[in-house]
Amino acid sequence: MPLNIDFLQVLLHMLNFVILAGGLTLLLFKPINKFLENRKAHFEKLERDNAESAEANSKAKAEYEQKLNNAEAEIAEMKQNAEKDMASAAESYINDAKDKASALLKAAETEAENRKQHILDAAQTEIGELVISAAQKLLSDTVTPERDRELYDAFIRLAENDPGHKPSARIDKSKTAGVSSNNSAGRKKQ
Amino acid sequence: MNRKKLSGRKLFLLIWLGVIVLLLIGIAVLSKLHPTEHAESVKEVMRDGVLHEVNKINFFGIEVNPAVLSAYIVTGIILLAAVLIRIFAIPKFKFIPEKLQSLLEMPVEFFSGMAKANSPHKSGFAGAYIFSAGLYIFLSTLFELLGIQAVTAHGASIALPAPIADINAAIAMGVLSYVVILGAGIICGGAKGALNVLKDFSLPISMSFRLFGALLSGLLVTELVYYYFSLSFVLPVFVGVLFTLLHAVIQTYVLTTLVSIFYGEAVEPRKKSKHSRKNAKKNQKLIDERRKQQ
Repeated sequence: MPLNIDFLQVLLHMLNFVILAGGLTLLLFKPINKFLENRKAHFEKLERDNAESAEANSKAKAEYEQKLNNAEAEIAEMKQNAEKDMASAAESYINDAKDKASALLKAAETEAENRKQHILDAAQTEIGELVISAAQKLLSDTVTPERDRELYDAFIRLAENDPGHKPSARIDKSKTAGVSSNNSAGRKKQ
Repeated sequence: MNRKKLSGRKLFLLIWLGVIVLLLIGIAVLSKLHPTEHAESVKEVMRDGVLHEVNKINFFGIEVNPAVLSAYIVTGIILLAAVLIRIFAIPKFKFIPEKLQSLLEMPVEFFSGMAKANSPHKSGFAGAYIFSAGLYIFLSTLFELLGIQAVTAHGASIALPAPIADINAAIAMGVLSYVVILGAGIICGGAKGALNVLKDFSLPISMSFRLFGALLSGLLVTELVYYYFSLSFVLPVFVGVLFTLLHAVIQTYVLTTLVSIFYGEAVEPRKKSKHSRKNAKKNQKLIDERRKQQ
């Protein structure tokens, strides 16, 4: 054959390559290719998972933001309500306080009136006593206790029935206060 | 002090380089005066390099070219390495690869990707075939660098050549590739597919001779360098290794690309006629461009 072509050797080379190709395919190509495909699938899965988790994260973020906005609105509303409540409560407290203050004032006024009346009564009694003691001094021994009492009652009645007589009586009280005290002191000495 | 030291160093370097140059000149002159007596003429060396007519080797009782023995040795080495890798390396593969794993994954990914790119419809078998062919052509071409010695049938000693440098090996690869393409055409396209492949009857011849020619050119250049250059212990180291690596890579790429392109055409579904025509035109253009480049 030209160029030293020998079909037997061609066949020997073919046999050699067929053995080699089969061996390499079984021993290297398929296992490595399978591994590469597995790895590719693994990373694709990872990528998918990452994309899914990223999507879930973005959804959660949107939800969170929505909730945050709602919460802010709710907080603002609650704040407004609380302010209103606080204002009404303060007003009611103020009103209560005013009521209490007016009640106290009224009670104090009543008390003061009572005390004034009491003082007046006491003063009248004392004035009466002073008048009696003065009359006793004037009348000396002729006046009896019964007579004194009658005089005193007559004086009281006169004082009550004649309002124009009161100021003079009051003046007399202040004037007679010192006298009566003196008289009472004198009486006590007697 | 420093200046003195520097000048001393420079002087030493100059003397050392001068002596080397003088010795090289002396060797060159002497080799010209007393040329090496070659046992064979350059014609005989080149003829034997191409045809392997003289130096036959006994291979299980058959007298064959030394390339046959080279081919089986290469196959044995590759298969042994594959078995060791399968047993010890592949089970330890991790999703984040280390150096050895990356080195092993690289050719598989490369040839698998090439098959998928050129034959998108059915690429599984094409990937396995071009992976094996590529690895065989590349490693068997590098095999000649080892310079393994063998004894011829006549008792002479020869360095085993690259298997593909033998025309019989190149024909075997070309014919096998054609058979694979034809088989894929018949399986995927039936009779029409087979006819489509058969019309390219020049394919096995072109593949075989392209492979043989490319490998042979590298071998012949190396032989010439070895034969004619006196400094055969310096220059051939670079020239031989570089040429061998270069044509190993180029031929691996060319053959695997051609096989995957023709395989892709053969297994392409016929329904999409316009698409396939476009692809065929594209592929034909690609092939023509590559032929021109070569």
